[in-house]
This record gives sequence, structure tokens and C-alpha cells, in this order.
Amino acid sequence: MVKKKRSFQEAETVVEPVAVEESASADNLRANLEEIKTYDGVVGYILRNSASAAIDLKDPAKIIDYAIISSSALDAGEELSELFNLGAVKDVVVEGKVVKVFSLTVGENRISVFLEKDADCDKILRKLQ
Amino acid sequence: MDNEVYTFALKSALNEIRNACPDITNAFMFGEDGEIIVGDEKTSEKTMVHVVDAFEGIFEKANAIGGVECITIQGSNGRVSVSWMNELYFVTVTSKKADLNYVNTVTRVLIPTVLRLMEKISSTPLKSNSPLTETKHKPKISMDEELERFEPVVEPVEETVLEEPKETVEAETERKPLLSELPVSQLIVENLGGLLVPSDTVRIDSEIMAKWEELYEGIKIEEVEVGTFDGKTMRCKVKAIKDSKYEGKGVIQMPEKLQVALEIKKGELVRAKPIIE
Repeated sequence: MVKKKRSFQEAETVVEPVAVEESASADNLRANLEEIKTYDGVVGYILRNSASAAIDLKDPAKIIDYAIISSSALDAGEELSELFNLGAVKDVVVEGKVVKVFSLTVGENRISVFLEKDADCDKILRKLQ
Repeated sequence: MDNEVYTFALKSALNEIRNACPDITNAFMFGEDGEIIVGDEKTSEKTMVHVVDAFEGIFEKANAIGGVECITIQGSNGRVSVSWMNELYFVTVTSKKADLNYVNTVTRVLIPTVLRLMEKISSTPLKSNSPLTETKHKPKISMDEELERFEPVVEPVEETVLEEPKETVEAETERKPLLSELPVSQLIVENLGGLLVPSDTVRIDSEIMAKWEELYEGIKIEEVEVGTFDGKTMRCKVKAIKDSKYEGKGVIQMPEKLQVALEIKKGELVRAKPIIE
């Protein structure tokens, strides 16, 4: 009986910190994204992981389109990285004539930041990495 | 300019780019509608189709960001870059050690120059929305067969004038520009099922069917040859898709039996051309 109890306690101590860490990481990212949103030329962001999603866009009418572009860009990155042996995908940038989309994966979190065409991606990359 | 010459010129340009920049591992071009134009000699058609398919979601929603000008996937060992040039998308895959300034200088100068040059040489634009002219730049499944079939029409007008009576010459010269086009269309496979659906019949985008029939001066297209990128071909009966939501979408609906026979599935690309006898 004593043995069983000990092993249960051990399992708990392993699982708990990971969950806390993931949550903290997502919260931290979200805080960074909130700050990024105030930068010049940033029109919004999408943060998604297996448990939750946060979308903040200046133009809510484009949520679905932007969500599809975000998801497709990250999926294409993974798919083509595998096809051409590109290794770990650092980021995917889709430049449109009006808006550009900067996407990356941080741990379990898939992030896309939407910016005006001439806005600076490097500053955002530094903030997120 | 003949489509083979276009393809040859572009292919040579891509191969030269790879020679000049050995860190470019793959280079190819595709049109706005996803139609593959040409690739360098080391990039397989299957790879090109895979890349175009991977970007499908982005292109479908591209209007939301004002159309796609450039896509870059940066990996730890290399990168994929897609750039919009002269109404075509140009794809390059480069290794980690590539000098991106040099690669960009070469590709962004050489490719637009070649494209502009070819457009100047030919009166026909490189890219057109018409599915009939799209076929000009496609690597064909059986171009030789097509050329043989239309051989009398492809002959120069002067030769025809010498051999034929005047009335026939007029008729021939009217038909020539139409039939010398090879109406091969690149289509996306959709499933076709149901109790009353014949297993030997495919259904094709009604817009494409109408253009084929117009090309063949009202002849009803009853059969098509469907070909895969692996070279498998099959002759099937054909009807136009009635559902208006598929109009202009470049779709071919195929019964499961035909998909199995051609070893393809929903979402893959095939080529179809009408059979006129």
C-alpha cells in the first residue's frame, strides 16, 4: 500500500510542473503578443496551441481568412521542410501586396503576426524568441 | 513562339541559374492558378505538384492580404522562397550556406529578363487565364500523339495553298489557330459517387467543356483522355458538371473505380484532353 501511494505521488510531481510551464509559456507569449500589437504597422495576431486559441485582429471581418492563411503557412512550412530536408522551421513569411504574415512555432504554440507590408519583422522575431 | 521552345528556354534558364548558384537545389515556376509551367531538370513533377498543393490554402485566401507577392520558409538547413515575377510564381529551394544576396540578384534579374524576352519575341502572352492557352506551357503527357493527329493542320499555310483548292484553304486557315492549340487541361480530382453514376464516365468543369466544344467548332465532346503525372492514362466518357458551384474551378469528378485504376485520389491533379474522332 505504501509503495503504491509513493509511486502515485511521484507521478504527480512529474506531470504538474510541465503543465504549469506550458501554461506559463503561453501566458508569456500572449503578453509579448499584446505588446507587439502596439508596434507600428501591426494589425493583429493569432496564437494557437492544442488547448486554446487567442485571436486579436483590427479587422474582425478577416478572422477566418487570416486564420486559414496562418494555419496553411505553418502547415506548408512543416510539409516542405520535410520534403526538402530544411530541418526545423524557424519562420514562415507570407508577403501580400497589403499585409504580410509572419508565422512561427514556439514550443507547442503556433503564432502568426499580421503586419502592414512595410512593417519590421525583425523586431517582432526578437520579441518572440 | 512554340510552347516547346518556351519550355526549353525557361528550363535552360533555370538550369543555368542552378549552375551559377549551386546552392539552389530546386527551381521551378507555376502560374497563378497553380498550373506548373516548368522546372529545372532535377526537380520532379511530383515534387512541384507537392509544393503547389502545400501553398493551396494560402493562395485560396490571398485576397485577404492583397494577393501573394512572396512566401519564405526559413528552415535550419535551408529555405524555400516563392516570388511573384511577371505573372508567374518562381520557386527556389536553397541550402543553408547559400549567399541569399547572390541568389536573389541572379534569380531576380535573369528570370524576369528571360520572361520579358520571350514575351517580346512572341506575340502570344506567356500567361493567360484561358485553359486553352494554359496548355501551351504544360509538360504534355502525349504531345507527340497530339501533333501527329493534327499534322495536316499544323502544316504551313503556304504549303496548304499549293495543295488545296481555295475554298478548302480558307476553311483550313480558319481552323488552324484553334486546332493547333493543344487543349490539355490540368484538373483537380473530386469524388463522384451515387447509385446512378456510371463507373466509366467522368464529369468535367462545364466551363472547360464549353471551351473545348467551342474550340472544336461545336463538336460534342463525348470522350476524354485522363492522364496522371506518373504517366498513366485512361480513356473515359465525359459529361459536364451540372452543379454551378464547380463552374470555373478546374475540377474533374471521377468515380472511385477510375481513381483506383489511375492510382490517384481526391485532391490530386490530373490532365485531361478531349478525344475527337
